[in-house]
Amino acid sequence: MAEETVISPDIKFIRELKETGGETLKKCYQCATCSVVCPISPDDRPFPRKEMVMAQWGMKEEIFSSPDIWTCHNCNDCSKYCPRGARPGDVLGALRQRFIKEAAVPGFMGNLVTEPKMTLVALAIPLLLFLVVLGVTGHLGIPEGRIVYSKLFPIRYIEVIFLSAVGLAGVAYLTSLSRFWNRLTRVNGRGYSKAFVPALVETITEFLKHSKFAKCEANRDRKNGHLLVFYGFVGLFITTLWITFYYYVPKIHSPIPLSDPMKWFGNLSALTLLTGSLIVIANRTKDKGINTRSSSFDWTFVIMVLLVCVTGILTELIRLAGIAALAYPMYLVHLTFVFYIIVYFPYSKLAHMGYRTLAIAYSKMTARDVEA
Amino acid sequence: MGQDKGILVVGGGISGLTTAVEAAETGYTTVTIVEKNPYLGGRVAQHYRYFPKLCPPYCGLEINFRRIKQNPAIRYYTMAEVEDVSGSAGDFRVRVRQSPRYVNEKCTACNACVEACPVERPNDFNFGMDTTKAIYLPHEMAFPMRYVIDDRHCKGLECSKCVDACKFGAIDLQMKPSTVELNVGSIVYATGWNPYDAARMDNLGFGRIKNVITNMMMERLSAPNGPTKGKIQRPSDGKEVKRIAFVQCAGSRDENHLPYCSAICCMASLKQATYLREKVPDSKATIFYIDLRAPGKYEDFLRRVDADENIVMIKGKVAKIEEDQATGDVVVTAEDVAGGKKIQEGFDMVVLAVGMEPQTRTREFPGGLRYEENGFIDVEQPAGVFGAGVAKKPLDVTSSVQDATASAIKCIQTVAGGK
Repeated sequence: MAEETVISPDIKFIRELKETGGETLKKCYQCATCSVVCPISPDDRPFPRKEMVMAQWGMKEEIFSSPDIWTCHNCNDCSKYCPRGARPGDVLGALRQRFIKEAAVPGFMGNLVTEPKMTLVALAIPLLLFLVVLGVTGHLGIPEGRIVYSKLFPIRYIEVIFLSAVGLAGVAYLTSLSRFWNRLTRVNGRGYSKAFVPALVETITEFLKHSKFAKCEANRDRKNGHLLVFYGFVGLFITTLWITFYYYVPKIHSPIPLSDPMKWFGNLSALTLLTGSLIVIANRTKDKGINTRSSSFDWTFVIMVLLVCVTGILTELIRLAGIAALAYPMYLVHLTFVFYIIVYFPYSKLAHMGYRTLAIAYSKMTARDVEA
Repeated sequence: MGQDKGILVVGGGISGLTTAVEAAETGYTTVTIVEKNPYLGGRVAQHYRYFPKLCPPYCGLEINFRRIKQNPAIRYYTMAEVEDVSGSAGDFRVRVRQSPRYVNEKCTACNACVEACPVERPNDFNFGMDTTKAIYLPHEMAFPMRYVIDDRHCKGLECSKCVDACKFGAIDLQMKPSTVELNVGSIVYATGWNPYDAARMDNLGFGRIKNVITNMMMERLSAPNGPTKGKIQRPSDGKEVKRIAFVQCAGSRDENHLPYCSAICCMASLKQATYLREKVPDSKATIFYIDLRAPGKYEDFLRRVDADENIVMIKGKVAKIEEDQATGDVVVTAEDVAGGKKIQEGFDMVVLAVGMEPQTRTREFPGGLRYEENGFIDVEQPAGVFGAGVAKKPLDVTSSVQDATASAIKCIQTVAGGK
């Protein structure tokens, strides 16, 4: 009568999890306080208690086939009320990092970006690439006259490098996302009460409003930081499209005067991103040991965001100040961080974007989502 | 034996009384009990029934009181607290401060004073669920059977209505605190415990939601000498309780509150579920737990309670409690771990199974006591100093009595050993 369940604990997975911010995992004694205090955990098979026991048992397949680690917004109400200091919020964060690494296509990119100790190598790759391209084409050196960055790095080179790299990354990301979706639907079934498109629209609407984030109690301030970072990125993406349009249609080339609305919009987006990342960093420092204990993976990404902002703003300011010897190198450094953010996104923390969208949409389709 | 200075027992609850009578009845030594309350018997006096036999605790206490009354080697002070301890094993000097009772030994417990008294106070014996007058009998079986005045509420000499009402001249409103100096050979701390302050769990609603009570309040609600004369009625509107929930580990095994297991709360809730089931036949009790701990022979009791189909046990800790404003019902949320669902259910009343916090965790006692990490007094103490009962670790009554008996022999070894 009794069904036999054989569990083969993945010891290596447990060890890796403990090394990447989930070291409190084994303290959990399954009281289920976390599942109750979590404001976004559903009534049907709530999280994160079950993730905690599955992680303790090294049940990687089961955890990675569930949408729930992505539904988690890391509010850490669970960690605040946890009677054992098992910090479910941190464990789920570590699980997401492990997932991103495992799901990486190609696999070595996962290693390069998710392991904080590889960060310098990850940054050195684009920088060397830029230097080699500039060296081979004879552009290495500080150009004379008015500071125009395309004198150092012609737009068509940037286009070739970035479009091909982002294209490859995009294909890789879509591969990972479709594998994730297949896994979700294969393991959890297709008993849908809602179609994909309306679920997706609802999910994205929630993201735009950050309404799930707004339900967090223990860590309220995180919403504002994340919201600004989110809209900062959206703004800079629009800026990029805008400037490309200028380049090809009215043929307006950089540097674009400060009076241009595109420039206002771009600078405003940069300041939004800067403010957002500073709020995120301030919250993490403030909360340390109380609510959120960030892993080094979290820190790497938020520092990259801060650096892309700071170098971007400096690139603009130094150009305006007319210091060519500083401006051109700063531009190269800025491009390096831009490369990190937009080419490595399927392997960095930014990868949560797609996984979370699919996970929440799937939860809505299977009626397991909490109304935001 | 000529040098015997006797034993001081700090605390007159079941452990202190046991150490005192067991030590004194050997005939080797004398014993002094110092008790902070105006009565002896401690927490046991507040209980309705013991587990697992479900007999009333008072008969056990009364036997001890008779043994005290019959034994001239035992002295006791109520409303008294140890202020200072100096000296060493075999020769401790102890200063005891005794607060004024305002009622002397002429009191016959006739109750005329209570009828005359115009002032009311919250009844701490019943955890504030009812009131007494400023002059009151601590409870109807109190030992010593003598009234007492709460000077935080009494209007004093300007009122004096009780003095006029007392035919025996038993009331003296000018009574002052006094100090007693003791010289003893050994000291036993049987300082017991308090229920952990349930208001500190901000998600469990105690103090905000009227129909959320503690397990000790449930004892008083069930006891015939309690605020409802033993009828289990909920505090908000006096409605008879038919659906009750017990929330296990309320603040226990929790590093934010009491990090340890109090060892008795599971058994207490199982026992209290039987109170309701016996008194209200069409009632239903639900026990939410992490692990049900019924150690050793108590497992039989767990099986017996579990056999009642109207007592449901759900694995999953309650982590949210809310009030239904319209009905006064209490809505609890827990994850039913075995069922894989979050459940939200309304109850007439919710009992928080709060743990035992040692007195020594919240206040310091003189005498160079050593404490362990949770504030219980350590096993290792200066020579001649011992602990007994819950002062040392969480224990049920039976185990407290055993521990207290063992402490008696340790004291006797100090005061009479090798002589």
